[in-house]
Amino acid sequence: MNARLVVAGLCGCVLFACAARAEDAAAPEADKTAKPAALPADPPYLAKPKGSVTYTKHIAPILFNNCMSCHRNGEIAPFPLGSYRDAQKRDVQIAMIVKDRLMPPWKAEPGYGEFHDARRLTNEQIGLIQQWVDDGSPEGDAKDLPEAPKFTEGWQLGPPDLVLKMPEAYTVAAEGRDVYRCFVIPIPIDEDKYVSAVEYRPGNRKVVHHALLFLDSLGTARKKDEADPLPGFASFGGPGFLPTGGLGGWAPGALPRPLPEGTAKAIKKGSDLVLQLHFHPTGKEESELSQVGIYYSKKPPTRTLAALTMRGRKIDIPAGEKAYTIKESTTTTIDMEAIGIAPHAHLLAKDIKCNAYLPDGSVTPLIWIKDWDFNWQGQYMYEKPVKLPKGTKVEVEFTYDNSTGNPRNPSNPPKRVTWGEQTTDEMALCWVQVMPEHETDALALKAAAGRSIFGGGEGTNLRDLIKEAVKKFDEDGDGKLNDEERAKLREFYNKTRGQK
Amino acid sequence: MRNRGGWIALALAAVAAVSLAHAEDALALKDLDGAERHPLELAKGQKAAVVIFITVDCPVANGYAPEIKRLCEACGKQGIAFYLVHVDPDVTVESAKKHAQEFGYACPVLMDPKHALVKRLKAKVTPEAFVVGAEGQTLYRGRIDDRNVGFTQQRTEATTKDLREALDAVAAGKAVPTPETKAVGCFIQSLEERKP
Repeated sequence: MNARLVVAGLCGCVLFACAARAEDAAAPEADKTAKPAALPADPPYLAKPKGSVTYTKHIAPILFNNCMSCHRNGEIAPFPLGSYRDAQKRDVQIAMIVKDRLMPPWKAEPGYGEFHDARRLTNEQIGLIQQWVDDGSPEGDAKDLPEAPKFTEGWQLGPPDLVLKMPEAYTVAAEGRDVYRCFVIPIPIDEDKYVSAVEYRPGNRKVVHHALLFLDSLGTARKKDEADPLPGFASFGGPGFLPTGGLGGWAPGALPRPLPEGTAKAIKKGSDLVLQLHFHPTGKEESELSQVGIYYSKKPPTRTLAALTMRGRKIDIPAGEKAYTIKESTTTTIDMEAIGIAPHAHLLAKDIKCNAYLPDGSVTPLIWIKDWDFNWQGQYMYEKPVKLPKGTKVEVEFTYDNSTGNPRNPSNPPKRVTWGEQTTDEMALCWVQVMPEHETDALALKAAAGRSIFGGGEGTNLRDLIKEAVKKFDEDGDGKLNDEERAKLREFYNKTRGQK
Repeated sequence: MRNRGGWIALALAAVAAVSLAHAEDALALKDLDGAERHPLELAKGQKAAVVIFITVDCPVANGYAPEIKRLCEACGKQGIAFYLVHVDPDVTVESAKKHAQEFGYACPVLMDPKHALVKRLKAKVTPEAFVVGAEGQTLYRGRIDDRNVGFTQQRTEATTKDLREALDAVAAGKAVPTPETKAVGCFIQSLEERKP
């Protein structure tokens, strides 16, 4: 997420070492032509008899199920799509937008990871919309119209156990560059808590573009907030401080989803929630007051959550370069399962692809985003955990376009771009949220993994890790490690690092 | 003027001549107070008229509100008429008034529910801008600036101010350097029935 997060990871390396990097592990040679084993069946559209495609029979079900969660009154989309008139008077626009797959917003390529809540229309659905518009957008028979979908108003996961609200509203100017800002919200809990789900709710759906949720138990964010006269403090790529944990993120259309059974994120007593919001000016002054709903886990977690982090800091993109690539990888030192993935780069990135090269020679595609858009970044949660056996090389490749041909280029004319947190800097980061396949490997996983925006909450910070390591290797139970115990710890971590 | 037949005849002839020269003169749209306006008919001394097509819900058009307000003010000083025109046939005067108030529009806002002006100027999207000269000729048509590249793709900042450049040229009595650009925004739906 940001440079400081990375620094945090590096501090961890001093004692425990991060997951083995590509250069210090004997990993299988990556197959550059890796393709998904089987693409989901999506046959091309076959034209129907002219005039037979109607709104009530064919189009309404598509719009109801794929568009209306945002395109209804009071929701984030600018206009509703709940009636024939709503659709008919925008038919050409709808046809164009779905054909170009600009909507519904979903950046992951099909076949490269099977994700929850994938919002992707099939060729059949897109074809039906095209033909309907070409045929004059007929309404059709009223009795074909399916029942309008019912949406849960308010909190999607029900009343939260704890509602955190921005202490004061923030005013977004009518125009100008997009605004990225962190807001510090104290968490009023008397004891450490385990969290199974988090739901973010913007107050003003017109102006909030996306949200990232960080934790801070050290008061660093509070100080930054105090130093800034306006509510919160400015930040772009990352939160601008070293977070002690993360609680995920939100983008329009994303549904809150509880963590997998047996897992939970920890919130330490005295922590602040740091809400990083991205605002897109709307043409008039807007005011925002967000809320975050916290759902406690009924029982402590039995599975450990951590994040594999791949980060490329040696970014140096010459001005004008059209396709600059950087590759980063990590090799698993225990059997693990990936439950989610979140790539991160700034405005110049075009293409991000992540594959897992398994020790048996097979390739599991983890994600491919062909048209990276900073404004639509998010975390992608796998429908089923993806197995990453010990010795799997997880490799991510980023491609950047620093030419004038890239309209998102923040510098005009283009300038040399290196790693950094500012809009005009770049990043190459990818987190894979993982669980150990065997819980006995939990400590090794935590040692190998770093924190992330959706990592293990506060459970994987350095101090906890040291405590846990001492406990594990303190065989004589005297609360400290003697030479023999220390040697075993060293051996354990060398093994964890995958070094000989 | 009306007390002598000769004058009347002369006046009628003059009107007819003007109407022939400016077919646009006949085009009348109502503003939000219900008054009839003739956006393509220039008042004496006016150099041109600017028309920008909008809807209450097009985020691209709404995003330009602050720039539109500045342009409107500048046009007032440059002797150029300025109109915003609603193209959504379903929009009510009440919601257009609320919209104008929310975005702080002080310029005349017109309703074009039958697309008389949309069709005359062949407008395609909101917010497409037109600069129309005294002879009814289109001096500029296209985008306000190049901030929007695609429907969901924006530059961090605009690199050209196309409409402003066109207006500056018109105010200075010069030819518009780039008389046509491609406007990006929300399609204006045709009101014609499209039979299968």
